[in-house]
Amino acid sequence: MEVVLDAFTQICTLQNLFFLVIGTAVGIFIGAMPGLSVNMGLALLFPVTFSVGGISGIVMLLGLYCGAIYGGSITAILLRTPGTPASAATTMDGYPMAIHNKQPGRALAVSTTASTFGGVFSTVCLILFAPLLASVALQFSKPEYFALAIFGISMITSVSPGSILKGVMGCVVGLWIATIGLDAMSGMERFTFGTLYLSGGVSFMPILIGMFALTQVFINVEDNYGKEQGRNEIRIDSVLPSFADLKLTLPTLVRSSMIGTFIGCVPGTGGDISSWICYNQAKTWAKDKSQFGKGDPRGIAASESGNNSIVGGAFIPVLTLGIPGDGATAIILGALMVHGIQPGPLLFVNNALDVYMIFIALMFANLVMGAMGFSLIKVFARVTNVPIKFLLPIIVVMAIIGTYSYNNSVPDVFVMLAAGFVGYFMHKFDMGVPGVIIGIILGSLAEQNFTGSLLMSDGSLSIFVTNPICCVFLVLAFVSLLSPMYKPALKALFK
Amino acid sequence: MRKYKALVAAMAVSLSLGTVSAALAADAYPSKDITVIIPKNPGGGTDITGRGVINMMQQDIGKVKFVPVNKPDGNGIVGMADVAHAKPDGYTLGMVTVELDIFPHQGKTNLSYKDYESIIAPIAAPAALIVHADAPYNDLNSFVKYLKDNPGKVMMGNSGVGAIWHIATLAFEKKFDVKVKHIPYPKGTADIAAAIAGKHIDGCLADPSSFKSQIEAGKLKILAVMADTRTKMFPDVPTFKELGFDIAIRAWATLVAPKGTPKEVLDVLRASAKKVSNTPEFVDYFLKQGIDPTSIVGEDANKMMEVDDAMYAEFLAKIAKEGK
Repeated sequence: MEVVLDAFTQICTLQNLFFLVIGTAVGIFIGAMPGLSVNMGLALLFPVTFSVGGISGIVMLLGLYCGAIYGGSITAILLRTPGTPASAATTMDGYPMAIHNKQPGRALAVSTTASTFGGVFSTVCLILFAPLLASVALQFSKPEYFALAIFGISMITSVSPGSILKGVMGCVVGLWIATIGLDAMSGMERFTFGTLYLSGGVSFMPILIGMFALTQVFINVEDNYGKEQGRNEIRIDSVLPSFADLKLTLPTLVRSSMIGTFIGCVPGTGGDISSWICYNQAKTWAKDKSQFGKGDPRGIAASESGNNSIVGGAFIPVLTLGIPGDGATAIILGALMVHGIQPGPLLFVNNALDVYMIFIALMFANLVMGAMGFSLIKVFARVTNVPIKFLLPIIVVMAIIGTYSYNNSVPDVFVMLAAGFVGYFMHKFDMGVPGVIIGIILGSLAEQNFTGSLLMSDGSLSIFVTNPICCVFLVLAFVSLLSPMYKPALKALFK
Repeated sequence: MRKYKALVAAMAVSLSLGTVSAALAADAYPSKDITVIIPKNPGGGTDITGRGVINMMQQDIGKVKFVPVNKPDGNGIVGMADVAHAKPDGYTLGMVTVELDIFPHQGKTNLSYKDYESIIAPIAAPAALIVHADAPYNDLNSFVKYLKDNPGKVMMGNSGVGAIWHIATLAFEKKFDVKVKHIPYPKGTADIAAAIAGKHIDGCLADPSSFKSQIEAGKLKILAVMADTRTKMFPDVPTFKELGFDIAIRAWATLVAPKGTPKEVLDVLRASAKKVSNTPEFVDYFLKQGIDPTSIVGEDANKMMEVDDAMYAEFLAKIAKEGK
């Protein structure tokens, strides 16, 4: 207990809080800007941690990490432009609520509550169950990753706006895009047409920006062509979520945070996968599904608590095993090591003080993120009052600059523009962009782990059924995939 | 309206500042900011190494800034090509990685080490033979014996078919006349570390830095390293060479300038690189991040790239011939 108090006093200095606020603010900004990635922000602030002595630098990076995941939801809700891949699912209900229902304040309040709840929940899990969850995460081998990916892909049945068949078609396109480039499992190039750019694969960020931001611009242009634009006057009375919303979303928050924490602690999976799975689960468990896709607060809550709760989860393998699950935690791991903290199995034994300091810092980072989010909601929401004739050109410019700056690549910009046009026509045909996005996110995870499993088992498919975790996920996937077929029959039976 | 005016004013000021700094470019090198192209994503090993070195060189040279730019397109080839084709005036530098010696022999690019002049290779991580601590073998010889007794059974992780750690494993197979199962982990060595710790695979030949904390905790063990000399990070671990097997595979990254960069410019950069790489801060910076620092400067780094290129050319041709 003395150690905890000691750690608490070490974190609670004015300097630490100052850098925490700076880090979180930079994080929210980077998260909200499409194309600026968490990794880029961390790499930029990393050298600053040298000049800032002690734990302050680490605290700043933690704030940035939390803030960036939250920041993505702001543009996702207000502009249908997910600032990070993790917030793509937030657009599903966030944008309709903010724009069609004219409740941007409510949408942001729900998302800020959900983000903070998810972050705090997962940090508590990290503190209480880190060693236990780490041992579960280590159980994940290639068959389990494959099954998790298939489980994720199975949810296209619930996120497709039009017919399920069209959703599946979109997903197939996404899966195909994921195969482009040098295949690390065989060393062969696929669909590259001999071009250098495609040999590295099509990067995901340009497609995400094109299919959401640019597509939405085209839709808005079409809807508003020739119309006189009045001034939008949306007043935000309360930045806190209403009691009714809290009551409605609470089960979703808890469920999504649990899923997110778990997905976060499995190395190699992150907020992009988690938010979609949580969204799908929220819809599956909801009694009244009619409002999903039209501005249901549960949709926002699911996606945002699902992606912010990966933060605590992601630190589980980092701190207990010394193994980072993604690029962002790898950078933070590097920063910890620079400051003489060597995460790994020995950390908990030798340096309990450091461990508690990281725990407390992460908790503060989430709380500061929430506080900053709530206090800025009124500022953010004013974006919806900007007349569309000013807003749309700004979004287009932001999309182009953001795409270019992501990889400093001109071909990426062309990919983004093409994705924007394709996305527009997919919208017209009711095909649904989420299918494509899910296909791209999960395509290589599914494929690489499928071939990898077969390499391990010498080509025997039995590896997928002899393994309990894998088996459970695959069964769940089939149940979810076939639900549109048997659900009507079941309903008829019980009536 | 006032807000817009302020915005326009701010833009005008920043634009004019840009032209002023361009106009200052003249006189002794360096007189303006130096762009350093990093052909990998931010936050990766190459990025951290590159940023670390140029940061220290910037402090040493003073006057100007080194500006890192990440260009990871086309598996890094685009960024490396940009450096090769840049004006050789010392204001565009770049990081190149060991892939530069591998890709040409796999038909992936026409670039080669000949397109560059080395400044410094701050990292040359050897392939380390890493296995689970519970495994029944404790040294290289008993591991090889185990492999001979269990041909094709032992699973070794790599970071993708045709990538360096796969080549290292193939070279190992060839040297000791054994067969293993190659299991690719395309996301990199952190995933391999998790797979060995979870006992899903038996071991790997890879850069030991991702495995450091697991090794120190006694969960994994490192049997030998494919290097000429012992590493600073694991000084107790023998090299393959000491054990009588001449095989060295290392993942290096080198700060380079385009071929044709004037000698005066190279001298300035190499002198600074040499100076900073001999400081304790340099060694400390890398060791703390689990990277084994090296200081191979100038012509020596050119030589290293040339030697490795010849090695990969020979080895990859041999493998291609055998239809593997």
